[in-house]
This record gives sequence, C-alpha cells and structure tokens, in this order.
Amino acid sequence: MKHAGKILILLVLIFGPVVLLAQNDKEKIEALRVAFINKKLELSTSESEKFWPVYNEYNEKLRAVKKNLRQSYKRKPDIISDADAEELFKLEAQTKQAELDLYKQYSERLKQIVGVKKMVILHLAEEEFRQKVLEIVKGKSD
Amino acid sequence: MLREKVINLEGCSYKTIGLLVLLSSVFLCKQAKAQSSYDSLNVKLPKHYFNTIIEMDGYNKPSVSLDTTGRRELNQKIDAHLKNYAVKQFNLSFCIPLITKEKKGSGADSAIIENSHLLLTGNFFSLKPVFEGLSQHTLTKRGIGLRYIYNTGKKGVWFFDAAPFVTRDITYRSRPYMRLSGTVVYSHNVSDNFNWRIGATKSFMWGNRLYLPFIGLRFGRLDKINFSFQFPRRVSLNIPFNPKIRMSLYSQPQGGMFNFSNHDTLYPKFAEATFHFTRYEINTGLRFDFKLSSHFNFFVSGGISSKNNITFYSDRANNRTNVFYRTYFYSASPVPTYYVQYGLVIKLGKTRSYYNNRNIYDAIDLNSGTDINDNNSQIPVPSKKLPKSTNLQSIEDLIDFTEF
Repeated sequence: MKHAGKILILLVLIFGPVVLLAQNDKEKIEALRVAFINKKLELSTSESEKFWPVYNEYNEKLRAVKKNLRQSYKRKPDIISDADAEELFKLEAQTKQAELDLYKQYSERLKQIVGVKKMVILHLAEEEFRQKVLEIVKGKSD
Repeated sequence: MLREKVINLEGCSYKTIGLLVLLSSVFLCKQAKAQSSYDSLNVKLPKHYFNTIIEMDGYNKPSVSLDTTGRRELNQKIDAHLKNYAVKQFNLSFCIPLITKEKKGSGADSAIIENSHLLLTGNFFSLKPVFEGLSQHTLTKRGIGLRYIYNTGKKGVWFFDAAPFVTRDITYRSRPYMRLSGTVVYSHNVSDNFNWRIGATKSFMWGNRLYLPFIGLRFGRLDKINFSFQFPRRVSLNIPFNPKIRMSLYSQPQGGMFNFSNHDTLYPKFAEATFHFTRYEINTGLRFDFKLSSHFNFFVSGGISSKNNITFYSDRANNRTNVFYRTYFYSASPVPTYYVQYGLVIKLGKTRSYYNNRNIYDAIDLNSGTDINDNNSQIPVPSKKLPKSTNLQSIEDLIDFTEF
C-alpha cells in the first residue's frame, strides 16, 4: 500500500490515452438519438416512466437480432459452400421475420402507452435521426 | 341466453367444432410466433443493468500541529506525544452484479417492468494517520457485503445494503474488530426533475457508531445539472459539461472508526493492546470527473477540510452494547486544511439498455452514493451535437448496411 497513490497515477497515465484513442462514437450517438426522440415525442411524466423501459427493451432485442446476422456473415469466408449459403439464407429470413414480429409486439405495447399519434412521430423522429447519422458516415467516405 | 347457446353448441355438427378448434389453434400459433421467431434465433442479451465497478482512490491532507493549550492534563500529554497530524489514505472498492430478475406486468400493467438486483460489494481501505511523534500505523478496514435494489417499475426504488467489515491495525499486534454498517432507503421519483428519499442508516462515517435517518432530496435530472441533498452523506451541485467531463461542487463528511495498537503506550491506564481511533472531517470542494471511455473514468477533487476531529476511545470504558461510544481519553479538533483526492474507476462488462429509464438511473445513483465513489459514471450524459465524422464500424449497431 506504500506506493498505491503513485501506482494509481501511473495507471491513469498509461491507460488514459490508450482508451481515449480506442473509444468509438457509438455510445455518444446513441445517447444523442435517445435525447432527440425524447425531445420530439414530448412525453408526459407518466408516459416517459413507462415508455423508455419498453422502448429500450425493443431496441436491445432488435439490435441483438441484427448483430447476430451480421456476425454470421462475418464468420463465413468469401467463398462459401452451398450448405453454408443455405444456412445464411435461412438465417436472413428468420431475422427478417423476428424483426417484424418484434415490431408488431412492441409497437402495440408502445401504442398503448403513448397513443397512435406519438407512434407516428416516433417513426419520423427515428428516420430523421438515421438520415443525420448517414450523412455523417457518407461525408467521411466521400 | 346461456342455455340457448349451450343448446346451439350441442346442435353443431362435429365438423363445425373441429373447424373452430383448428381456427383457434391457428390464432394461438400466430400469437406465439412473435415470441418464437425471436427465441429461435437464440441471441444473447446482457444480464444486468449494472456494470462491475472497480474503484481506487487516494486521499491526502497536510500536517497540522495539535493544540495543547487549555486542555485537560491527559489530553495535553498525548498532544505533546503526537505533535502533528496528517492523513494519507487509499481505498479500493468493487461492486459486482450477481443476480438480476425481471418481471413484466400483464393486462393494463403490461408496460410496467419491475426488476430486482443483487450485488456483491467489497471494500479495502487503508488509513495512515501520520503523527509526527509516533511510529507510523496503518489502519485497515476490509469488508464484503451484499446489496439488494428493487425497482418497482412505477415511481419507487428500494435500496438495502449490509456491509460487514473488519478493522485492524496491521502495523503491530492488535485485536481485529468486526463491525456492520447498513442502509435501508426508499427512493421516490416524483418526476424526472424531482426525487425524494427516506430511510435509515447505521454508519461510522461521522467517527462513531451512529444510527441516523436518511433523508434525500434531488432537484434536476441525474444526467443534467442537479442539486442533491442526501443527509447524512452528501450535499452536491452536479454539472455535466459534456458526456466526458462532469463537475461537482460538494460538501460531505469523511471518517470512520478504526483499531489502533497501543504499541506507543498512548493509553496509560490499562495495558490495552488495542483502542479505537476515530476521525471525521467535512470536506467541501470541487470534483472533476473525466470519462475517458465507456470503461474508464478518473477523477480529481480538492478543497477545504474543516470540522476536523480525532478521538481515542478505550475499549474497556465503552460498553459494546451502547449505541455509540461516549468515554474517550483523547480528543482534538485540528485546524482546517486543504485536501486532495484522486481516483480511477474501471467499469467492466456490458449492461442492459436503460436510456432515460429514470428508475434505473436512480438505482445507479443509490448504488454510487454508498461506498462506490464513481459519481454516477454509468449514467449517460447526452452531448449537444453529433460528431463531425465517424466510421461505419463504430455505429453499425445503430444503422443498417442496407440503408446505403
């Protein structure tokens, strides 16, 4: 324990810049997206307290499903066998079905909380924000 | 009417009944499909809402002279023996989520998601009270505890904490002492901007074994500027400048009750191997938290340490069954000084999504305010504008490839 303070400072100096360089924008953009939607929806206190846990759960599952597909594609080499192709083809269809089912299930629950009008606003807000993010990404690739 | 319906049903042919059964099973299958298509993919989500947190911090206060004038004889003798007093301390805490259970409401309550969390907490604390006239003692506190947080899914969050610990002077032969601190709090989120808390705590933070009420008020959202009054722990004004830097103006007690070896014969009446050393001070200052990434934070804080007190209690003169220690053989109130604190917070693992979920934010705040000195590093602070550029790989979870 004699040099605990010095070790602590050393750890910050070593790991600080490393993790700062390694971090990505995902968390930042996601927080901003949520704030953007929150602003557009103008939820009341009681709506907000019910809406966000359900909406977070929906997004979490939806992303997990998409990520699962993405990773399956990444795992396969460029030239794949017919069996692998068949497996991916099925997974693609399963994923699309799961996305649709999740949408149906959660949009109904969310509609009960905020009403149909705000569900339309939610869709428009999500779309508007997605466009903003796409512009940033495209700007970099140009 | 019912009788007529029954008669009608009796009148139906078996074919009609068979058709009805078939139709209803098709309907039920469709209902179950929403669940099964997702479940069949067998994707894994994070289990917990809390990160595993490891927090290390150091704390220093400069040396001050112990005043010997106008005090009783024994006090003066000990003052002369101790001479000057300074503090060096190191703290290592951790908090690991063990079990998270979730329960969803049905019918009219289908939007309500209750959850309960069981967390394992641990603490290793090393205190070096530096007395110029004494050899250096290292006093430790080691403990492992359990914490249970229950989010009602409506407006309330319950918090239970039990933290047994052992204090010991590790420099010389001394008897270890086992103690228990604990907290029970009910936290009510009236709105995003206002929260109140009520409860009770058994704490040694104020330099004695005290049973105190817990009263809390917060104005402002946890992810924005807020003012928080949490008796007996902390009063603070918290200002997040951006997602990476947060400033707090705060005032909080710091202290504890430790075992001290009588190696230097400070207590002359009995040859007690161990007596109790207690200290408390009120630290008022500024703290800056720097969020380096989603897994690392560090902080620096400093200010004025006032209302300083150190007291030595004999073990024999104080009955353990008493609520708090009364009979002391030495007490001093050193003059105010500055203090410096610095620390590192490591967050491990992935968590469930909890954006704008004010009950989970509140649960994180309750967890953060008890032993884990991470200043709510888990609560995301939204930035004001989008980054000017980013790469696709870092945000592939947020948009589809097909959108290009």
